[in-house]
Amino acid sequence: MARRYRIVHRTEYQYGRPMADGFTTTHLEPREREHQHIVSVELAIDPAPDELERSLDALGNPVTRFAVHRPHTSLVVESTVVVDVGLQPVPAESPPWEDVALLAMAARDDLANELGPYLAATFSTPFLPELALLTEHEFTPGRPIAAAVSGLCQRMFGAFAFDAGFSDVTTPIADVLAARRGVCQDFAHVACAALRSLGLPARYVSGYIETMPSPGEAKLFGVDASHAWCSVWAGDQGWLDFDPTNDQMPPMNHITVGWGRDYGDVAPVRGVVIGPSGTQTLAVSVDVVSENRQ
Amino acid sequence: MTSDVLRYVPSPGRYDEVVDADGTTRPTWQAVAKALGSFDPAVLLERQRQADRLLDAQGTGHLVHEISLAPDRHGVTAVARSVSHPWRLDPVPLVIEAPEFRRLADGATQRMRALAALLVDLHGPRRLVTEGVLPAPLLHSIAGYRPVSEHAPAGPWLVHYALDVVRDAAGVWHVVQDLTDSPTGLGYSLLNRTVLARVVPDGLRTLGVAAVNDHADTLRRALTAAAPAGLRSPRAVVLTAGPADPTYVEHSYLATRLGLHLVEAADVVMRAGRLWLRVLDGLEPIDVVYRRVLDARLDPLEPGHLGGGSGVPGIVWGATGGRLTLANGYGAGVAEAPELAPYVVEAARHLLGEFLSLPLLQPDAALGSSPVFVGDDAVPFAPRPVVLRMQLARIGDEIVVMPGGAGRVLAVGDDPRRPTAQVVKDVWVVGSGVRSRPVPVNAPPQVDFGGSVPKRVADALYWLGRAAERSEVATRAVRVVTAQLLQDPMLSTFEDGAWAVGVASLLRAAQGVPSAISEYEGSSAELVSRELAATCTSAAGQLAALVQEATSVREYLSTTTGRVLGRLARAYPLFVGAATQADDLDTVLVDLAALSGLMMESTVRGPSWRFLDLGRRLERALGVLGAVEASMALHLPPMAQQPIADAVLGANESLVAYRRRYRSEVDFQAVLDLLLRDDANPRSLAYQLDRLREHAAGLGWSGGAALVERASVNSLATIDREVVNGRIVSLDAFVLGVRGPLLELAAAIVQRWFADPVNPTLMRGH
Repeated sequence: MARRYRIVHRTEYQYGRPMADGFTTTHLEPREREHQHIVSVELAIDPAPDELERSLDALGNPVTRFAVHRPHTSLVVESTVVVDVGLQPVPAESPPWEDVALLAMAARDDLANELGPYLAATFSTPFLPELALLTEHEFTPGRPIAAAVSGLCQRMFGAFAFDAGFSDVTTPIADVLAARRGVCQDFAHVACAALRSLGLPARYVSGYIETMPSPGEAKLFGVDASHAWCSVWAGDQGWLDFDPTNDQMPPMNHITVGWGRDYGDVAPVRGVVIGPSGTQTLAVSVDVVSENRQ
Repeated sequence: MTSDVLRYVPSPGRYDEVVDADGTTRPTWQAVAKALGSFDPAVLLERQRQADRLLDAQGTGHLVHEISLAPDRHGVTAVARSVSHPWRLDPVPLVIEAPEFRRLADGATQRMRALAALLVDLHGPRRLVTEGVLPAPLLHSIAGYRPVSEHAPAGPWLVHYALDVVRDAAGVWHVVQDLTDSPTGLGYSLLNRTVLARVVPDGLRTLGVAAVNDHADTLRRALTAAAPAGLRSPRAVVLTAGPADPTYVEHSYLATRLGLHLVEAADVVMRAGRLWLRVLDGLEPIDVVYRRVLDARLDPLEPGHLGGGSGVPGIVWGATGGRLTLANGYGAGVAEAPELAPYVVEAARHLLGEFLSLPLLQPDAALGSSPVFVGDDAVPFAPRPVVLRMQLARIGDEIVVMPGGAGRVLAVGDDPRRPTAQVVKDVWVVGSGVRSRPVPVNAPPQVDFGGSVPKRVADALYWLGRAAERSEVATRAVRVVTAQLLQDPMLSTFEDGAWAVGVASLLRAAQGVPSAISEYEGSSAELVSRELAATCTSAAGQLAALVQEATSVREYLSTTTGRVLGRLARAYPLFVGAATQADDLDTVLVDLAALSGLMMESTVRGPSWRFLDLGRRLERALGVLGAVEASMALHLPPMAQQPIADAVLGANESLVAYRRRYRSEVDFQAVLDLLLRDDANPRSLAYQLDRLREHAAGLGWSGGAALVERASVNSLATIDREVVNGRIVSLDAFVLGVRGPLLELAAAIVQRWFADPVNPTLMRGH
């Protein structure tokens, strides 16, 4: 049974002084996927952009680029998305993980292009030797991939502390591994790097999660943030999502926006302004509301 | 085995360019020896020194100095590094016979086509991956590879390509590396040839060495041919990261040779699918960007961008719209990734059905050698491997190879990709049959931007003018005071220190901190030496600013200017530390005068020159006022008036004029007339105001003209009122009425012409 969510993601920049030109690239529009259907998408931009183009990026994610070419001291980007999300079942049976790695390595034709980006060691997902500590006891010979990944997910949840103050988008995973703390982006990068270093295709997934209020309390607005998790390719079983931050496989209450090799491919808002140096401030809020909770 | 022509012993068992396996000098080298005249070490040493001087004059000297003016991160200061050269040109060229070079050129051409096909595939269907030639993880792990397959570039992927090749020990040419992102070396090659042609003009003629200078035209045509379709006269620019870029010398030199604007990111802006140049009065469109900025630093909006907000935001997105060509295309850098090199041969077979004739050099392969001049009397030459960098350009479907290149000498133990020797050989292709073929094209010529001046350039020229004048004022003040002291050391205690206080005030004015001195610590002699040292420091700072501003607008200044700038950059240490010698100061003053002369006589009177001169005139007006204010503020005893008036006149280059006109002892009223009111004295305030008026009119700037007019009327009225009998009645009123309007004009210039701050700032992520 699908759930309907309404997400309002608001990003507000105050520049302090008037900027002559502003260029922004956004990954805010969710993409369709098997268990996810987009009902509506609205992007409100203030000031109104002088040019705007919506397209699909090379990885199939909707991307909206816009520019403002007149003096402006602030920028507000607000996306309002209504989306139906179903549960992605974890298959009862899945192939041994080594078979998946072999299939990925031998992939040809369209499959080779589909998997290729998600086998990469990127700047954010380097193949560090320490990653073996996370995988060696889970990826045992012949273990079905779904079970092994679920084990990795659980192990990471136990080993890492969520610490919003520890890292930002530029923190290398070596630091995260050493300190055993970080945020969802870091854990998604770690999981991707761990899987890819075994030859398993893994996607960095960007999106939202609905945080549950404690029983009896009203859901708070504005406390939710954009979220990130992982998706592993399981051969015939397709892509299986899991969330190492919350130890969920399959993830519950997760709304996918897009995926890439790492954060950089699907950063929600990326921009450059041209003008005098000022004191830039940034305020982000994300509201995720379930519209027909079962 | 020893060459009978050179006193040279090659490495045994390795191919040598000059000596064959039997120890005989190769026939070509008999001819080369004859053409070069002599291999006498003394002659060669002199040639090398001449080459050093010529390279320096081309601007390489001051660019290197400029960068080292501030202590760098290794703590090496200007003084230590300013003696070194960016690179040395070996006086003996690398000589390649035409048939051999033709084979090399064919191999390079074939490789350029293969790499272009590789780029089309990697940024498109990726057949190399889907058909199993290239492992997907390898491709996707290459830093900087992004599968940007949404749009093909408007032009070809590779317009300019460079290739390093080297002979192995058996004499077979191998590929060392490809340069596809922003290939370097063309400018250096052209520069090296220009220099060597001066050093050994007969050699080139006698041997019939193929000319390389056509290749600049070839590249310009290639850029024009790559422009978006349907343009009658496309406009191209050279994009540089600026003077901090280690290859800025080349960017600046190439832009001049190509006749294109050299622009930095701040000079351009992407709007409505086109790239625009910020000029003094608005924006002008650009069609082709010859980018000398790497993929990874081109566009801060692209994922994987390095360097924060640097680069041109939106240029990659813009280029996909088909109205802008990036040469080379964004993403071309992937083709030079070392990880890909082992797959290039197979890729060429797969994509083009061709077998590449040039093999890839294996790591640790033994290399051939060439004699490199080391200057030792006993052993003048050492055998060293030389890596040849070739330059190719693509005009439409045709690929043109420059018949020559740069021979990069390897030091012992060097990675052939990264020579450390800093010695380069010019490359001579001799024998008939190899010419760079100027392709007859009827393409319309590159349209010049005419009188258009980028805002940044006007800004830099204006501050260059001001810095030039301020260094001159400071240097001359030091010179004049030093000379007076030299003639009469007793002056420092003269009249109870009255002279000392007078010249100290004058020196302060020359530092740009006009404040009359009433009290001071220590002796009057100490006061003078303290202010002399401070003025020297100020002059050094202004010289540094001068060289820095000049460097960023090098192509707007005459070619000789580089030589003067190199000398001025080297003069910097003279002002730091111990007592500055009068002779040194004179040398600096002569160089500053030369610079000023070049600015006046060798610069086209366009808007760019106006900004240069605007800065100079404004600063000179402020300078002469500073001297007048400083000396008039004091109540000097009569005996001290004469030397102080001499100093004021001397510091403003007006002493001779004064003596000729008045033939009298100094009378302060006459001094003030000459310095303030006399519009025939090129150092006077009135003269500067006249020039400022002309510039405001020439720029069509009515607001500026009004300000100059007001300054002029106000200052004349103030002078008439406040200057009586050689004294200023009220200094405050004088400053308010004369200096005030000039400062207002200075602010208005910045506001009207340069006010747009254009620093790109990355918006913070979350």
